[in-house]
Amino acid sequence: MTELQLLDGCAAITEAALAAGCRFFAGYPMSPFTGLLESMSRRMTQAGGTCVNAESEIEGINMALGASAAGARAATGSCGQGIALMQEAIAEMALNQTPMVVFNMARNQQDYFQCTRGGGWGDYRTLTLAPKDVPEAAEHTQLLFWLAERHRMPVILYGDPVLAQTQVGVRIEPRDHGPLPPRDWVLDGSQGGTGHSRQVWTWAMGKVTDPGPGPDGQWRAMAEKFDRIAASEQRSEAYRTEDADTIVVAFGTAALFVAYVVDELRAEGMRVGLFRPVTLWPFPAAALAEVTRTASRVLVFELNAGQMLDDVRQHVHDRETVGFIGGVSIHESGLTFGPLLDAAPIRERIVSAIDGQAPASRPAGRGGAR
Amino acid sequence: MEQGGVMEREVILSGIGGQGIQLLSKSLALAATMAGRYAMLAADYGGEMRGGPSQASVVIGDAPLRSLPILPSAGAAVLMHHKFSAFALERLRPDGLLVLNTSIVPAGSVGHPGRVAGFPVTALARDLGAPQSAGFVMLGAYVGLTGVVEPEALEQAMRRLLPPYRAQYGDANARAIEAGLTTARDQVTAS
Repeated sequence: MTELQLLDGCAAITEAALAAGCRFFAGYPMSPFTGLLESMSRRMTQAGGTCVNAESEIEGINMALGASAAGARAATGSCGQGIALMQEAIAEMALNQTPMVVFNMARNQQDYFQCTRGGGWGDYRTLTLAPKDVPEAAEHTQLLFWLAERHRMPVILYGDPVLAQTQVGVRIEPRDHGPLPPRDWVLDGSQGGTGHSRQVWTWAMGKVTDPGPGPDGQWRAMAEKFDRIAASEQRSEAYRTEDADTIVVAFGTAALFVAYVVDELRAEGMRVGLFRPVTLWPFPAAALAEVTRTASRVLVFELNAGQMLDDVRQHVHDRETVGFIGGVSIHESGLTFGPLLDAAPIRERIVSAIDGQAPASRPAGRGGAR
Repeated sequence: MEQGGVMEREVILSGIGGQGIQLLSKSLALAATMAGRYAMLAADYGGEMRGGPSQASVVIGDAPLRSLPILPSAGAAVLMHHKFSAFALERLRPDGLLVLNTSIVPAGSVGHPGRVAGFPVTALARDLGAPQSAGFVMLGAYVGLTGVVEPEALEQAMRRLLPPYRAQYGDANARAIEAGLTTARDQVTAS
Protein backbone atom coordinates (compact mmCIF):
# COMPACT_ATOMS: atom_id res chain seq x y z
CA MET A 1 0.00 0.00 0.00
CA THR A 2 1.21 3.50 -0.77
CA GLU A 3 2.00 5.97 1.97
CA LEU A 4 -0.74 7.91 3.74
CA GLN A 5 -0.33 11.60 2.90
CA LEU A 6 -2.05 14.65 4.36
CA LEU A 7 -3.19 16.47 1.21
CA ASP A 8 -5.77 19.10 0.41
CA GLY A 9 -8.09 18.44 -2.54
CA CYS A 10 -5.88 20.36 -4.96
CA ALA A 11 -2.74 18.46 -3.96
CA ALA A 12 -4.55 15.11 -4.03
CA ILE A 13 -5.89 15.84 -7.53
CA THR A 14 -2.38 16.81 -8.63
CA GLU A 15 -0.88 13.54 -7.37
CA ALA A 16 -3.70 11.55 -8.97
CA ALA A 17 -3.29 13.39 -12.29
CA LEU A 18 0.43 12.60 -12.30
CA ALA A 19 -0.34 8.96 -11.50
CA ALA A 20 -2.71 8.95 -14.49
CA GLY A 21 0.08 10.17 -16.77
CA CYS A 22 -0.90 13.84 -17.04
CA ARG A 23 2.18 15.73 -18.24
CA PHE A 24 0.76 19.06 -19.40
CA PHE A 25 -1.24 21.56 -17.42
CA ALA A 26 -2.08 25.19 -18.22
CA GLY A 27 -4.39 27.61 -16.48
CA TYR A 28 -4.86 31.05 -15.03
CA PRO A 29 -5.15 31.66 -11.28
CA MET A 30 -8.57 32.22 -9.73
CA SER A 31 -9.56 31.19 -6.21
CA PRO A 32 -10.07 28.34 -5.29
CA PHE A 33 -8.59 26.92 -8.54
CA THR A 34 -5.36 28.78 -7.71
CA GLY A 35 -4.47 26.01 -5.26
CA LEU A 36 -4.55 23.45 -8.06
CA LEU A 37 -2.44 25.61 -10.40
CA GLU A 38 0.10 26.13 -7.60
CA SER A 39 0.39 22.46 -6.74
CA MET A 40 0.59 21.51 -10.44
CA SER A 41 3.34 24.08 -10.95
CA ARG A 42 5.33 22.56 -8.07
CA ARG A 43 4.87 18.92 -9.02
CA MET A 44 4.55 18.81 -12.81
CA THR A 45 8.15 19.74 -13.57
CA GLN A 46 9.38 17.20 -11.00
CA ALA A 47 7.49 14.57 -13.02
CA GLY A 48 9.07 15.73 -16.28
CA GLY A 49 5.96 17.52 -17.50
CA THR A 50 5.06 21.11 -18.28
CA CYS A 51 2.85 23.51 -16.35
CA VAL A 52 2.10 26.93 -17.81
CA ASN A 53 0.61 29.91 -16.01
CA ALA A 54 -1.17 31.22 -19.10
CA GLU A 55 -2.14 34.82 -19.81
CA SER A 56 -5.82 33.98 -19.52
CA GLU A 57 -8.18 31.02 -19.28
CA ILE A 58 -8.65 31.13 -23.07
CA GLU A 59 -4.92 30.75 -23.70
CA GLY A 60 -4.71 28.10 -20.99
CA ILE A 61 -7.28 25.76 -22.46
CA ASN A 62 -6.04 26.24 -26.02
CA MET A 63 -2.47 25.44 -24.96
CA ALA A 64 -3.82 22.27 -23.35
CA LEU A 65 -5.80 21.51 -26.52
CA GLY A 66 -2.61 21.73 -28.58
CA ALA A 67 -0.69 19.54 -26.15
CA SER A 68 -3.46 16.95 -26.14
CA ALA A 69 -3.74 16.88 -29.95
CA ALA A 70 0.02 16.28 -30.03
CA GLY A 71 -0.37 13.29 -27.72
CA ALA A 72 0.22 14.55 -24.18
CA ARG A 73 -2.19 13.71 -21.39
CA ALA A 74 -3.32 17.27 -20.80
CA ALA A 75 -5.59 19.17 -18.44
CA THR A 76 -6.70 22.65 -17.52
CA GLY A 77 -9.15 24.22 -15.12
CA SER A 78 -10.51 27.28 -13.38
CA CYS A 79 -13.61 28.05 -11.38
CA GLY A 80 -16.94 28.54 -13.13
CA GLN A 81 -16.22 32.15 -14.01
CA GLY A 82 -13.04 31.19 -15.89
CA ILE A 83 -14.56 28.07 -17.42
CA ALA A 84 -17.19 30.37 -18.93
CA LEU A 85 -14.34 31.77 -21.04
CA MET A 86 -13.27 28.27 -22.12
CA GLN A 87 -16.59 27.22 -23.64
CA GLU A 88 -15.57 27.68 -27.28
CA ALA A 89 -12.53 25.44 -26.91
CA ILE A 90 -14.52 22.84 -24.97
CA ALA A 91 -17.13 22.65 -27.74
CA GLU A 92 -14.44 22.39 -30.42
CA MET A 93 -12.70 19.57 -28.55
CA ALA A 94 -15.96 17.73 -28.03
CA LEU A 95 -16.72 17.87 -31.75
CA ASN A 96 -13.19 17.26 -33.08
CA GLN A 97 -12.61 14.52 -30.51
CA THR A 98 -9.67 15.81 -28.51
CA PRO A 99 -9.32 14.31 -25.01
CA MET A 100 -9.15 16.87 -22.18
CA VAL A 101 -9.69 16.96 -18.43
CA VAL A 102 -11.11 20.24 -17.11
CA PHE A 103 -11.07 20.87 -13.34
CA ASN A 104 -13.81 23.21 -12.23
CA MET A 105 -12.66 24.07 -8.72
CA ALA A 106 -15.81 26.12 -8.31
CA ARG A 107 -16.81 28.59 -5.62
CA ASN A 108 -20.22 26.98 -5.15
CA GLN A 109 -22.74 24.67 -6.86
CA GLN A 110 -24.03 27.24 -9.34
CA ASP A 111 -22.19 25.72 -12.32
CA TYR A 112 -24.37 22.61 -12.67
CA PHE A 113 -25.88 23.88 -15.90
CA GLN A 114 -22.47 25.00 -17.15
CA CYS A 115 -21.03 21.51 -16.56
CA THR A 116 -23.96 19.50 -17.89
CA ARG A 117 -25.28 21.71 -20.71
CA GLY A 118 -22.20 23.72 -21.61
CA GLY A 119 -22.15 27.06 -23.36
CA GLY A 120 -20.47 26.20 -26.62
CA TRP A 121 -22.05 25.50 -29.97
CA GLY A 122 -23.22 22.23 -31.48
CA ASP A 123 -24.61 18.89 -30.33
CA TYR A 124 -22.13 18.04 -27.62
CA ARG A 125 -22.01 17.11 -23.96
CA THR A 126 -19.27 17.05 -21.34
CA LEU A 127 -19.05 14.06 -19.04
CA THR A 128 -18.92 15.46 -15.50
CA LEU A 129 -17.99 13.76 -12.21
CA ALA A 130 -18.83 15.41 -8.88
CA PRO A 131 -16.75 13.89 -6.03
CA LYS A 132 -18.07 14.13 -2.48
CA ASP A 133 -14.68 14.34 -0.75
CA VAL A 134 -10.94 14.41 -1.25
CA PRO A 135 -10.30 10.64 -1.52
CA GLU A 136 -13.04 10.36 -4.14
CA ALA A 137 -11.67 13.38 -6.02
CA ALA A 138 -8.36 11.53 -6.32
CA GLU A 139 -10.16 8.43 -7.67
CA HIS A 140 -12.26 10.50 -10.06
CA THR A 141 -9.22 12.31 -11.40
CA GLN A 142 -7.63 9.07 -12.58
CA LEU A 143 -10.94 7.83 -13.97
CA LEU A 144 -11.45 11.10 -15.89
CA PHE A 145 -8.12 10.88 -17.72
CA TRP A 146 -9.13 7.38 -18.78
CA LEU A 147 -12.64 8.40 -19.84
CA ALA A 148 -11.34 11.45 -21.74
CA GLU A 149 -9.09 9.23 -23.83
CA ARG A 150 -11.49 6.33 -24.15
CA HIS A 151 -14.19 8.58 -25.57
CA ARG A 152 -11.85 11.25 -26.97
CA MET A 153 -13.75 14.10 -25.39
CA PRO A 154 -13.44 16.88 -22.82
CA VAL A 155 -14.55 15.78 -19.35
CA ILE A 156 -15.06 17.80 -16.17
CA LEU A 157 -14.38 17.32 -12.48
CA TYR A 158 -16.79 19.56 -10.57
CA GLY A 159 -15.20 20.50 -7.25
CA ASP A 160 -15.71 23.32 -4.77
CA PRO A 161 -13.82 25.30 -2.08
CA VAL A 162 -14.39 22.72 0.67
CA LEU A 163 -13.01 19.98 -1.57
CA ALA A 164 -10.11 22.19 -2.74
CA GLN A 165 -8.99 23.28 0.72
CA THR A 166 -9.79 20.52 3.22
CA GLN A 167 -6.71 18.46 4.05
CA VAL A 168 -7.30 14.75 4.44
CA GLY A 169 -5.16 11.67 4.90
CA VAL A 170 -5.23 9.89 1.52
CA ARG A 171 -3.36 7.18 -0.33
CA ILE A 172 -2.91 7.83 -4.03
CA GLU A 173 -3.01 4.36 -5.58
CA PRO A 174 -2.40 4.14 -9.34
CA ARG A 175 -5.57 2.64 -10.87
CA ASP A 176 -5.89 0.52 -13.96
CA HIS A 177 -9.25 1.14 -15.62
CA GLY A 178 -8.52 -1.15 -18.55
CA PRO A 179 -7.09 -0.89 -22.05
CA LEU A 180 -7.57 2.23 -24.17
CA PRO A 181 -8.11 2.36 -27.94
CA PRO A 182 -5.05 2.94 -30.16
CA ARG A 183 -3.84 6.53 -30.19
CA ASP A 184 -3.80 6.74 -33.99
CA TRP A 185 -5.40 10.18 -33.86
CA VAL A 186 -2.36 11.81 -32.30
CA LEU A 187 -0.69 14.51 -34.40
CA ASP A 188 2.83 13.63 -33.35
CA GLY A 189 4.57 13.55 -36.73
CA SER A 190 5.06 9.78 -36.56
CA GLN A 191 3.10 9.29 -39.76
CA GLY A 192 4.87 12.13 -41.57
CA GLY A 193 6.90 11.74 -44.73
CA THR A 194 4.13 10.14 -46.77
CA GLY A 195 3.16 13.35 -48.52
CA HIS A 196 -0.25 13.16 -46.86
CA SER A 197 -0.81 15.60 -44.05
CA ARG A 198 -3.62 14.95 -41.62
CA GLN A 199 -6.08 17.30 -40.06
CA VAL A 200 -8.25 17.37 -36.98
CA TRP A 201 -11.19 19.59 -37.76
CA THR A 202 -14.55 20.04 -36.12
CA TRP A 203 -16.27 20.16 -39.55
CA ALA A 204 -14.45 17.10 -40.94
CA MET A 205 -14.62 18.47 -44.48
CA GLY A 206 -11.49 16.58 -45.54
CA LYS A 207 -9.66 17.33 -48.76
CA VAL A 208 -10.34 16.98 -52.47
CA THR A 209 -8.55 13.63 -52.54
CA ASP A 210 -10.06 12.45 -49.24
CA PRO A 211 -13.33 14.28 -48.66
CA GLY A 212 -14.02 12.82 -45.22
CA PRO A 213 -17.47 12.58 -43.62
CA GLY A 214 -18.22 16.33 -43.93
CA PRO A 215 -20.24 18.27 -41.37
CA ASP A 216 -23.44 16.28 -41.72
CA GLY A 217 -21.71 12.91 -41.37
CA GLN A 218 -19.39 14.16 -38.63
CA TRP A 219 -22.09 15.68 -36.47
CA ARG A 220 -24.45 12.73 -36.89
CA ALA A 221 -21.59 10.48 -35.78
CA MET A 222 -20.94 12.76 -32.79
CA ALA A 223 -24.63 12.74 -31.82
CA GLU A 224 -24.62 8.93 -31.89
CA LYS A 225 -21.42 8.86 -29.86
CA PHE A 226 -22.88 11.09 -27.12
CA ASP A 227 -26.00 8.90 -27.06
CA ARG A 228 -23.79 5.84 -26.49
CA ILE A 229 -21.90 7.59 -23.69
CA ALA A 230 -25.17 8.76 -22.10
CA ALA A 231 -26.34 5.16 -21.99
CA SER A 232 -23.11 3.57 -20.78
CA GLU A 233 -21.44 5.98 -18.36
CA GLN A 234 -24.13 6.79 -15.77
CA ARG A 235 -22.82 6.51 -12.23
CA SER A 236 -24.66 7.07 -8.97
CA GLU A 237 -24.83 6.07 -5.32
CA ALA A 238 -27.97 5.13 -3.40
CA TYR A 239 -27.45 5.41 0.37
CA ARG A 240 -29.98 3.88 2.78
CA THR A 241 -32.76 4.15 0.20
CA GLU A 242 -34.10 0.56 0.39
CA ASP A 243 -37.18 1.31 2.51
CA ALA A 244 -36.99 5.12 2.40
CA ASP A 245 -40.18 7.07 1.92
CA THR A 246 -38.20 10.31 1.67
CA ILE A 247 -35.25 10.43 -0.70
CA VAL A 248 -32.96 13.46 -0.79
CA VAL A 249 -31.07 14.02 -4.04
CA ALA A 250 -27.77 15.88 -3.70
CA PHE A 251 -24.36 15.93 -5.40
CA GLY A 252 -20.74 16.67 -4.48
CA THR A 253 -19.85 18.02 -1.04
CA ALA A 254 -23.52 18.77 -0.35
CA ALA A 255 -24.25 15.03 -0.63
CA LEU A 256 -21.61 14.28 2.01
CA PHE A 257 -23.50 16.55 4.44
CA VAL A 258 -26.86 15.04 3.47
CA ALA A 259 -25.51 11.52 4.12
CA TYR A 260 -24.50 12.60 7.63
CA VAL A 261 -27.98 14.00 8.28
CA VAL A 262 -29.56 10.82 6.86
CA ASP A 263 -27.62 8.80 9.46
CA GLU A 264 -28.86 11.10 12.23
CA LEU A 265 -32.49 10.88 11.09
CA ARG A 266 -32.29 7.10 10.59
CA ALA A 267 -31.05 6.80 14.19
CA GLU A 268 -34.28 8.54 15.18
CA GLY A 269 -36.34 6.09 13.16
CA MET A 270 -37.09 8.26 10.13
CA ARG A 271 -37.07 6.45 6.79
CA VAL A 272 -34.83 8.84 4.87
CA GLY A 273 -32.27 8.02 2.18
CA LEU A 274 -29.87 9.77 -0.17
CA PHE A 275 -29.54 9.46 -3.94
CA ARG A 276 -26.29 10.95 -5.23
CA PRO A 277 -25.60 11.46 -8.93
CA VAL A 278 -21.87 10.76 -9.29
CA THR A 279 -21.93 11.62 -13.00
CA LEU A 280 -23.88 14.86 -13.45
CA TRP A 281 -23.78 14.19 -17.19
CA PRO A 282 -24.78 11.60 -18.11
CA PHE A 283 -27.41 12.06 -15.41
CA PRO A 284 -28.15 8.68 -13.76
CA ALA A 285 -31.71 8.73 -15.05
CA ALA A 286 -32.47 5.02 -14.89
CA ALA A 287 -31.15 4.62 -11.34
CA LEU A 288 -33.11 7.66 -10.08
CA ALA A 289 -36.34 6.40 -11.63
CA GLU A 290 -35.82 3.01 -10.02
CA VAL A 291 -34.85 4.24 -6.57
CA THR A 292 -37.75 6.72 -6.35
CA ARG A 293 -40.38 4.18 -7.44
CA THR A 294 -41.76 3.70 -3.94
CA ALA A 295 -40.80 7.03 -2.33
CA SER A 296 -43.55 9.41 -1.38
CA ARG A 297 -41.23 12.43 -1.26
CA VAL A 298 -38.14 13.32 -3.31
CA LEU A 299 -36.28 16.39 -1.98
CA VAL A 300 -33.61 18.11 -4.04
CA PHE A 301 -30.84 19.75 -2.01
CA GLU A 302 -28.31 21.79 -4.00
CA LEU A 303 -26.57 25.08 -3.19
CA ASN A 304 -28.03 27.08 -6.04
CA ALA A 305 -31.43 28.35 -7.14
CA GLY A 306 -32.49 24.96 -8.54
CA GLN A 307 -30.48 23.53 -11.45
CA MET A 308 -30.16 19.75 -10.96
CA LEU A 309 -33.83 20.05 -9.99
CA ASP A 310 -34.63 20.11 -13.73
CA ASP A 311 -32.95 16.73 -14.26
CA VAL A 312 -34.56 15.21 -11.19
CA ARG A 313 -38.02 16.32 -12.30
CA GLN A 314 -37.37 14.91 -15.75
CA HIS A 315 -36.27 11.46 -14.56
CA VAL A 316 -37.96 10.87 -11.20
CA HIS A 317 -40.60 8.14 -11.03
CA ASP A 318 -43.38 10.63 -10.17
CA ARG A 319 -42.87 14.37 -10.69
CA GLU A 320 -45.56 15.25 -8.13
CA THR A 321 -43.31 13.94 -5.33
CA VAL A 322 -40.47 16.39 -6.03
CA GLY A 323 -39.72 19.28 -3.67
CA PHE A 324 -36.82 21.72 -3.53
CA ILE A 325 -35.02 22.29 -0.22
CA GLY A 326 -31.78 23.83 -1.51
CA GLY A 327 -31.07 27.47 -2.25
CA VAL A 328 -28.43 30.09 -2.86
CA SER A 329 -26.02 30.47 0.06
CA ILE A 330 -22.77 32.34 -0.53
CA HIS A 331 -20.13 33.52 1.96
CA GLU A 332 -19.78 37.32 2.13
CA SER A 333 -16.39 37.06 0.37
CA GLY A 334 -18.14 35.51 -2.63
CA LEU A 335 -15.43 32.83 -2.65
CA THR A 336 -17.13 29.95 -0.88
CA PHE A 337 -20.40 28.56 0.47
CA GLY A 338 -22.59 30.37 2.96
CA PRO A 339 -24.15 28.93 6.14
CA LEU A 340 -26.56 26.55 4.37
CA LEU A 341 -23.70 24.05 3.89
CA ASP A 342 -23.92 22.74 7.45
CA ALA A 343 -25.60 19.72 9.01
CA ALA A 344 -28.09 21.66 11.20
CA PRO A 345 -29.84 23.75 8.49
CA ILE A 346 -29.94 20.78 6.11
CA ARG A 347 -31.55 18.66 8.81
CA GLU A 348 -34.03 21.46 9.53
CA ARG A 349 -35.07 21.64 5.88
CA ILE A 350 -35.49 17.89 5.51
CA VAL A 351 -37.50 17.61 8.71
CA SER A 352 -39.78 20.54 7.91
CA ALA A 353 -40.42 19.10 4.44
CA ILE A 354 -41.38 15.79 6.04
CA ASP A 355 -43.48 17.53 8.71
CA GLY A 356 -46.38 18.24 6.51
CA GLN A 357 -45.12 20.85 4.12
CA ALA A 358 -46.39 19.68 0.75
CA PRO A 359 -43.69 19.03 -1.83
CA ALA A 360 -43.34 22.12 -3.96
CA SER A 361 -43.67 21.59 -7.67
CA ARG A 362 -41.90 24.93 -8.12
CA PRO A 363 -38.68 25.52 -6.23
CA ALA A 364 -39.60 26.84 -2.82
CA GLY A 365 -37.17 29.24 -1.20
CA ARG A 366 -35.48 30.09 -4.49
CA GLY A 367 -32.56 32.25 -3.55
CA GLY A 368 -33.93 32.53 -0.05
CA ALA A 369 -31.53 30.35 1.87
CA ARG A 370 -30.67 32.06 5.14
CA MET B 1 -17.61 11.07 18.24
CA GLU B 2 -18.39 7.45 17.63
CA GLN B 3 -19.73 6.82 14.14
CA GLY B 4 -20.48 3.34 12.90
CA GLY B 5 -18.45 1.92 15.78
CA VAL B 6 -15.31 3.83 14.78
CA MET B 7 -13.87 6.43 17.12
CA GLU B 8 -13.10 9.83 15.63
CA ARG B 9 -11.70 12.60 17.83
CA GLU B 10 -12.44 16.17 16.85
CA VAL B 11 -10.94 19.40 18.15
CA ILE B 12 -11.61 22.98 17.10
CA LEU B 13 -8.68 25.34 17.63
CA SER B 14 -9.65 28.97 17.70
CA GLY B 15 -7.77 32.23 18.02
CA ILE B 16 -6.71 35.34 16.18
CA GLY B 17 -4.36 35.74 13.24
CA GLY B 18 -0.73 35.66 14.38
CA GLN B 19 -1.17 33.16 17.23
CA GLY B 20 -0.18 30.24 15.03
CA ILE B 21 -3.52 28.45 14.95
CA GLN B 22 -2.91 27.22 11.40
CA LEU B 23 0.60 25.88 12.11
CA LEU B 24 -0.60 24.23 15.33
CA SER B 25 -3.51 22.47 13.69
CA LYS B 26 -1.46 21.32 10.74
CA SER B 27 1.23 20.00 13.11
CA LEU B 28 -1.42 18.00 14.95
CA ALA B 29 -2.96 16.58 11.75
CA LEU B 30 0.43 15.79 10.24
CA ALA B 31 1.65 14.11 13.45
CA ALA B 32 -1.33 11.74 13.24
CA THR B 33 -0.77 11.13 9.52
CA MET B 34 2.92 10.36 10.02
CA ALA B 35 1.88 7.77 12.60
CA GLY B 36 -0.30 6.08 9.96
CA ARG B 37 -3.60 7.39 11.30
CA TYR B 38 -6.29 9.22 9.35
CA ALA B 39 -6.58 12.95 9.86
CA MET B 40 -8.66 15.77 8.46
CA LEU B 41 -7.87 19.46 8.74
CA ALA B 42 -10.40 22.09 7.75
CA ALA B 43 -9.09 25.62 8.18
CA ASP B 44 -10.87 28.94 8.13
CA TYR B 45 -9.20 32.30 8.46
CA GLY B 46 -9.64 35.92 7.49
CA GLY B 47 -7.59 37.89 5.00
CA GLU B 48 -5.68 39.78 7.72
CA MET B 49 -2.17 38.64 8.69
CA ARG B 50 -2.72 39.70 12.32
CA GLY B 51 -5.75 39.95 14.53
CA GLY B 52 -8.44 38.52 12.25
CA PRO B 53 -10.39 35.32 12.83
CA SER B 54 -8.33 32.13 12.63
CA GLN B 55 -9.66 28.71 13.38
CA ALA B 56 -9.20 25.10 12.33
CA SER B 57 -10.94 21.80 12.92
CA VAL B 58 -8.85 18.66 13.23
CA VAL B 59 -10.27 15.13 13.27
CA ILE B 60 -8.15 12.05 13.96
CA GLY B 61 -9.21 8.42 13.65
CA ASP B 62 -7.90 4.94 12.93
CA ALA B 63 -9.97 4.38 9.77
CA PRO B 64 -10.97 6.59 6.83
CA LEU B 65 -12.94 9.42 8.44
CA ARG B 66 -16.66 10.06 8.24
CA SER B 67 -16.64 13.45 9.97
CA LEU B 68 -17.81 16.43 7.96
CA PRO B 69 -15.34 19.15 6.95
CA ILE B 70 -17.62 21.64 8.74
CA LEU B 71 -17.99 19.87 12.08
CA PRO B 72 -21.56 19.73 13.42
CA SER B 73 -20.13 19.11 16.90
CA ALA B 74 -16.74 18.55 18.50
CA GLY B 75 -15.35 16.68 21.49
CA ALA B 76 -12.80 19.39 22.30
CA ALA B 77 -12.16 23.09 21.79
CA VAL B 78 -8.88 24.90 22.32
CA LEU B 79 -9.17 28.68 22.71
CA MET B 80 -6.04 30.76 22.31
CA HIS B 81 -8.25 33.86 22.37
CA HIS B 82 -11.89 34.59 23.17
CA LYS B 83 -12.39 36.73 20.05
CA PHE B 84 -14.12 34.83 17.24
CA SER B 85 -14.60 31.80 19.51
CA ALA B 86 -18.39 31.52 18.98
CA PHE B 87 -18.08 28.77 16.33
CA ALA B 88 -15.93 26.58 18.59
CA LEU B 89 -18.05 27.14 21.71
CA GLU B 90 -21.37 26.56 19.94
CA ARG B 91 -20.19 23.23 18.57
CA LEU B 92 -18.37 21.92 21.63
CA ARG B 93 -20.43 19.05 23.02
CA PRO B 94 -21.65 19.56 26.61
CA ASP B 95 -19.44 16.71 27.82
CA GLY B 96 -16.48 17.90 25.75
CA LEU B 97 -13.11 19.27 26.86
CA LEU B 98 -12.50 23.03 26.78
CA VAL B 99 -8.87 24.20 26.96
CA LEU B 100 -8.25 27.90 27.58
CA ASN B 101 -5.24 30.17 27.28
CA THR B 102 -5.79 31.85 30.64
CA SER B 103 -3.13 34.48 29.90
CA ILE B 104 -5.73 36.02 27.60
CA VAL B 105 -9.06 34.29 28.26
CA PRO B 106 -10.06 34.71 31.92
CA ALA B 107 -10.95 31.27 33.36
CA GLY B 108 -14.59 31.38 34.36
CA SER B 109 -15.41 33.87 31.61
CA VAL B 110 -16.60 31.02 29.41
CA GLY B 111 -19.51 28.93 30.60
CA HIS B 112 -19.16 25.23 29.80
CA PRO B 113 -20.81 22.34 31.65
CA GLY B 114 -18.02 19.86 30.82
CA ARG B 115 -14.38 19.71 31.72
CA VAL B 116 -12.44 23.01 31.51
CA ALA B 117 -8.65 23.20 31.67
CA GLY B 118 -6.75 26.47 31.73
CA PHE B 119 -3.07 27.19 31.12
CA PRO B 120 -1.38 30.61 31.10
CA VAL B 121 0.50 29.67 27.95
CA THR B 122 1.52 33.19 26.93
CA ALA B 123 3.21 33.65 30.31
CA LEU B 124 4.72 30.14 30.22
CA ALA B 125 6.18 30.78 26.77
CA ARG B 126 7.63 34.11 27.93
CA ASP B 127 9.28 32.27 30.85
CA LEU B 128 10.87 29.91 28.31
CA GLY B 129 12.27 32.92 26.47
CA ALA B 130 10.10 31.99 23.48
CA PRO B 131 6.99 34.20 23.51
CA GLN B 132 6.29 33.29 19.87
CA SER B 133 5.90 29.64 20.87
CA ALA B 134 2.90 30.14 23.16
CA GLY B 135 0.70 28.17 20.76
CA PHE B 136 2.95 25.12 21.04
CA VAL B 137 2.74 25.26 24.85
CA MET B 138 -1.04 25.10 24.34
CA LEU B 139 -0.82 22.26 21.84
CA GLY B 140 1.54 20.36 24.15
CA ALA B 141 -0.94 20.82 27.00
CA TYR B 142 -3.83 19.59 24.85
CA VAL B 143 -1.83 16.51 23.81
CA GLY B 144 -0.80 15.97 27.43
CA LEU B 145 -4.45 15.98 28.53
CA THR B 146 -5.74 13.77 25.73
CA GLY B 147 -2.87 11.65 24.41
CA VAL B 148 -4.38 12.05 20.96
CA VAL B 149 -0.94 11.87 19.28
CA GLU B 150 2.56 10.92 20.41
CA PRO B 151 4.56 13.97 21.57
CA GLU B 152 7.58 12.84 19.49
CA ALA B 153 5.45 12.74 16.34
CA LEU B 154 4.15 16.22 17.14
CA GLU B 155 7.66 17.62 17.38
CA GLN B 156 8.69 15.92 14.11
CA ALA B 157 5.61 17.24 12.32
CA MET B 158 6.25 20.78 13.62
CA ARG B 159 9.85 20.70 12.38
CA ARG B 160 8.77 19.38 8.99
CA LEU B 161 6.25 22.18 8.59
CA LEU B 162 8.56 25.06 9.48
CA PRO B 163 9.79 26.77 6.32
CA PRO B 164 13.62 26.97 6.03
CA TYR B 165 13.66 30.64 7.03
CA ARG B 166 11.89 29.73 10.31
CA ALA B 167 13.86 26.56 11.09
CA GLN B 168 15.69 28.38 13.91
CA TYR B 169 12.43 28.35 15.93
CA GLY B 170 12.25 24.54 15.89
CA ASP B 171 14.10 24.10 19.19
CA ALA B 172 12.08 26.78 20.99
CA ASN B 173 8.84 25.20 19.73
CA ALA B 174 10.03 21.78 20.91
CA ARG B 175 10.73 23.21 24.38
CA ALA B 176 7.27 24.80 24.32
CA ILE B 177 5.61 21.46 23.48
CA GLU B 178 7.53 19.84 26.34
CA ALA B 179 6.52 22.61 28.77
CA GLY B 180 2.87 22.23 27.78
CA LEU B 181 3.01 18.44 28.24
CA THR B 182 4.60 18.80 31.69
CA THR B 183 2.10 21.42 32.84
CA ALA B 184 -0.84 19.33 31.69
CA ARG B 185 0.48 16.18 33.34
CA ASP B 186 1.04 18.10 36.58
CA GLN B 187 -2.55 19.29 36.44
CA VAL B 188 -3.85 15.77 35.76
CA THR B 189 -1.80 14.40 38.69
CA ALA B 190 -2.93 17.20 41.01
CA SER B 191 -6.61 16.82 40.26
